[in-house]
Amino acid sequence: MPGRAPGAGEQYRFHFDMRKCIGCKCCVVACNEQNGNPAAINWRRVGEIEGGFFPDATRAFLSMGCNHCLEPTCLSGCPVDAYSKDPVTGIVRHSADACIGCQYCTWNCSYGVPQYNPERGVVGKCDMCHGRLTLGQAPACVAACPEGAIEIEVVAIAGWRAAAEGAVVAPGVPVADGSVSTTRITLPEGLPPDARPPDLTHVSPAHPHWSLILMTVLTQLSVGAFVTIWLLHLLGASSGLGAGALVSLLVGGLALAAATFHLGRPVYAYRAFRMWRRSWLSREALLFACFSGVSALYAAWLWWQLPGGAALGAVTAALGLGGVTASACIYRVPSRPAWNTPATLVQFHLTAGILGPLVAAVAGAGSVRWLGLTAAVMGGSQLLALAVLFLRCIAADRPELRGTARLLSTVFARRLLARGVLLVLGALVLPLVGVASAPVGANLNVGPYTAEHALCAAALLLAISGEILGRYLFFVSVVPTHLAAPYLAAAREAA
Amino acid sequence: MTLRHLLGLDTRADRYAYGTDPTSGYVSAQKIPDRWVATTCGYCSVGCGMFIGVKDGRAVSVRGNPDHPVNRGLLCPKGLAEHHTIAAGNRARYPLLRWNGVMTRVAWDEAIATMAVRFRDVQERFGRGAVGVISTGQLVTEEFYALGKLVQLGLGTPNYDGNTTLCMATAVAGYKRSFGSDGPPGAYEDMEQADVVLLIGANIAENHPILCSRLRANPGATVIVVDPRVTKTAILADLHLPIRPRSDLALVNGLIHLVIEHDLVDRDYIARHATGFEALRDSVREYTPGRVAQITGLDPELIYRTAAIYAGARAAFVGWTMGVNHSTKGTETVNAINNLALITGNIGRAGAAPFSITGQCNAMGTREAGFTSSLPGYRKFERAADRAELARLWNVPEERIPTARGLAYPDIIEAVLERRIRALWIIATNPVVSFPNLGVLQQALESLEFLVVQDGYHPTPTSEHAHLMLPAAIWGEKEGTYTNSERRVSKVNRAVAPPGEARADFDIFLQLAEALGVRDELFPGWRRPADAFGEWARVSAGRLCDYSGMTYEAIERYGGLQWPFPAGADPGETRRLYGNGRFQTEDGRARLIPTTWEPFPEPPTPEFPLVLNTGRTVEHWHTRTKTANVPILERLSPAAWVEMNPRDARQLRLKPQDRVDVVSRRGRVRNVELRITETIAPGQVFVPFHFAETNANQVTQSAFDPISREPNYKQSAVRVERATHTPTKHRDSEAPRRNSKTLSRWLGGSVFRGGRR
Repeated sequence: MPGRAPGAGEQYRFHFDMRKCIGCKCCVVACNEQNGNPAAINWRRVGEIEGGFFPDATRAFLSMGCNHCLEPTCLSGCPVDAYSKDPVTGIVRHSADACIGCQYCTWNCSYGVPQYNPERGVVGKCDMCHGRLTLGQAPACVAACPEGAIEIEVVAIAGWRAAAEGAVVAPGVPVADGSVSTTRITLPEGLPPDARPPDLTHVSPAHPHWSLILMTVLTQLSVGAFVTIWLLHLLGASSGLGAGALVSLLVGGLALAAATFHLGRPVYAYRAFRMWRRSWLSREALLFACFSGVSALYAAWLWWQLPGGAALGAVTAALGLGGVTASACIYRVPSRPAWNTPATLVQFHLTAGILGPLVAAVAGAGSVRWLGLTAAVMGGSQLLALAVLFLRCIAADRPELRGTARLLSTVFARRLLARGVLLVLGALVLPLVGVASAPVGANLNVGPYTAEHALCAAALLLAISGEILGRYLFFVSVVPTHLAAPYLAAAREAA
Repeated sequence: MTLRHLLGLDTRADRYAYGTDPTSGYVSAQKIPDRWVATTCGYCSVGCGMFIGVKDGRAVSVRGNPDHPVNRGLLCPKGLAEHHTIAAGNRARYPLLRWNGVMTRVAWDEAIATMAVRFRDVQERFGRGAVGVISTGQLVTEEFYALGKLVQLGLGTPNYDGNTTLCMATAVAGYKRSFGSDGPPGAYEDMEQADVVLLIGANIAENHPILCSRLRANPGATVIVVDPRVTKTAILADLHLPIRPRSDLALVNGLIHLVIEHDLVDRDYIARHATGFEALRDSVREYTPGRVAQITGLDPELIYRTAAIYAGARAAFVGWTMGVNHSTKGTETVNAINNLALITGNIGRAGAAPFSITGQCNAMGTREAGFTSSLPGYRKFERAADRAELARLWNVPEERIPTARGLAYPDIIEAVLERRIRALWIIATNPVVSFPNLGVLQQALESLEFLVVQDGYHPTPTSEHAHLMLPAAIWGEKEGTYTNSERRVSKVNRAVAPPGEARADFDIFLQLAEALGVRDELFPGWRRPADAFGEWARVSAGRLCDYSGMTYEAIERYGGLQWPFPAGADPGETRRLYGNGRFQTEDGRARLIPTTWEPFPEPPTPEFPLVLNTGRTVEHWHTRTKTANVPILERLSPAAWVEMNPRDARQLRLKPQDRVDVVSRRGRVRNVELRITETIAPGQVFVPFHFAETNANQVTQSAFDPISREPNYKQSAVRVERATHTPTKHRDSEAPRRNSKTLSRWLGGSVFRGGRR
């Protein structure tokens, strides 16, 4: 324990002395007792690092709570401002009352520090035993460590920022992501050069988040459809626009309803708009909320075939495309390397690009020929994006990306194949067949339903299935950056 | 799951609230007790002082006792969560009697009466020795003392032993042979005062983590760890000697050889306090560094260095645990360690001791007061004067005192198989997980006419075989004393009431004595453990383990008292044995005993090419009857694993995290996760022994130390192969039965794995 409180330009931090740690995990047990957490939630964790060759092999242990970063990504991503960085101590604190259980912070933190507690419907994290520090008591982990390997120190922020940026802190600690962890780690002398977490070869599937799969795919369908309808509207089409818009509106509404089921506290979903200035999640919520309002107006406009309305359509399209962009940006977090690529943005928009025209075609708006061609181009691009992404993972150096490739080529190989087949059939083959069989001519206002429409309906069904399966793979195959973990798969899977 | 919770209106804020406890400070409100009860940890024999926090009659928290001389407030992860063992769902609550194959609740009176009648019936038909008793190292000393009298004088069967024979009988036998008596001569403080700490087959960082703080307090000491694996303790060492499995005896003899050869012995000490030096010198002549290097696989230079460091020490401490004890050559290895300490005069001084670090919380108590391998107070069965003294103290005829020890634990099991023992009483131990070569034991248990299991938990793999199950109070629910490895007697107190109708073992013993009609004779006027303590203190007076100056009050006040503690002893003084060089032999001199290294009993073959080592992990305690009920410990260590060197794995085409079977001539451990690691030597594998579901003792062997009768758990010849099946409830009939919670978790796991292939 430091003899004084932090002064100006200073904060508290953890010092972990790896030379002293014997891997007893007293800190983990003491932390859980201190905070009354269930066994599955561990605000402090102990991982393993191994290196060398028998008998000159060594095993070291890494005990980590929260790093109380200088630029906490949990905080910057939070849509409801549940996080705060204590101005005196620098402790990153979390308010269970403010939290709505969106769990975005659990993605944003490169160290896996915030953990969702389903019993509460909110996230929780290490607060350096703020309450104990205030009373002059050592944090539970510090007090329980029989080897004195964990300490609280005062750190001068500016100097640490300069020294720590971009530095590899220790084997088993994810590379710096700009958050600037404050934890100081003293490594043992003569740690073998190959020292690393022994679990790097092991990956397990991530949570699928079904409500988010449905939410993203269906909002993209809705946005794609509205954009298509607006374009057709601009080009002077009239038949089928109202029906198409109404269906899209309904699907979009359903999608947003599905999203609230992702929240631990759905009743407070409205709070998600709050931090739109810095959180992509807030922006997404805000844009989609506006989109659903404006698109409802636009749909009504089209349904009653009121004159004009193209400007309304333009606003709808802009809000929708903005929402899809915000959606994609949510997933662009450094701690999830497989998501953290522009391709996520491309993929999300391509989903809209495939499904939108097909919805319009099924609704009987516009020419099957042109709509089919558009969907097929989008489908082809999606296929290309998929291939590029997969190859990027295979060729990558980062263990997380290689892990994604391994998951996709082993556990999920069949599902990946099915995704490809659905994409090819629904977004390429059937639309092109439709294009080939549709009468030539740019008749935007087709009359009675034809065989081409049935074909488009089949294509739409297959394409939606394909995009849902693709999104499922997107979620389950991501391998987050993480602290060195216990070796046993069973011990990690519970995490 | 309420609607309020589903909507997110209820975040269980009350359950997750914090408060301030006057002693432990700011903490989760649910952990703040009404009162703290001082006690001693009930896991290992380090004997840490602690408090149990009690709220509304429930144990809600624990904390280390900062004033206790052993741990100074520290606790290991098991100790930090020990209160969870009390409120476990599978606590035994009512006496159960098997009735048409079904365990049926009965009243205590009926349970005890049945037990007395069935035991007497068996004894009438097959002789007194046809009832066997297997006890434990986990009762309080008062209970061991009462139980010993009850079994040997009341039931009148000599066939009484404890699970301590699976654990430290070897140290006992070694001490007796070298020094004339059991009793670890040193103190924990010695680890802080030694300039060399030599640990042989002792992974204290995993098994006795609180002792590691003693090493940290002594940064100047050279720590040498002898272990075939790169254990957590080996990593802490200044010097790690990665010997081949069970070559420790050759190594110690090699060190003795070098010490004698280079005249580094303490001639004066040997001349005054030991006998047998010439024979010892002759016996180690063949243990040249070259030969020892060959046997141990060590660089000869490392052997020279170790000898020089040890012999050059002002004070050298040798600590050992199961690496030495679990061996058919264990007793001899202990003697060799004692020889090394004696010839260098490293005994009876600050920092200097050959020190057995014991396993169970009160294994020492049963060694002192029990009535198994010796008479109470380290008296000898074969010594008439000892028997006469006890008869006088107990006011019983001298003929009642047995003249020889009965069968040891493994011999009791063999006698059951041979139908010489027909009824068995198992107290606070779980042999269906802990006994080597399990198949033999299971066959024995099935062949019993009457099996009584007395335990704090039910079902356990053992209690499922019982005809009569007696529910016992556990740690935190009863009173008495534990003795730790450094002979410190500490108080254990009752914080909460036992669940249901469970009773303290002490009360069960007195009730059985009553039913057998021996209560007034053996336990006159006894009501409480204090009555037993009073008598035991008198019986121990004048013995090496002298309690006669101790009272419960003084023990509590000083955080435990080390024996020998006669009246008037200084409670603040660190006590060591043999400081005056007078040993417990007839002539007062220690014996230097020649020993011979031999290869371990089951060498690897092409069919079984790997040497299996077994051991522990810090999160679990023995057979997990307790720690499997502590969610955080299960979370941290949910399953067993097999450690294997990458070179072996490559040959077997195995990858990290593969599921494998470990197969020996005797059985198969199924479906264990493979850990490929450089911390184990090629040719060896390691499996932790805690897990009933994947029990290492399905493959271990029936080989026992001829002197101590301790099993050679380690060094079984095995092969490792890819797991051939996914275990299910129906197909895995060979595995011991397991409770449904574990089963469902296991099945859940295998379904998941199935999905991943």
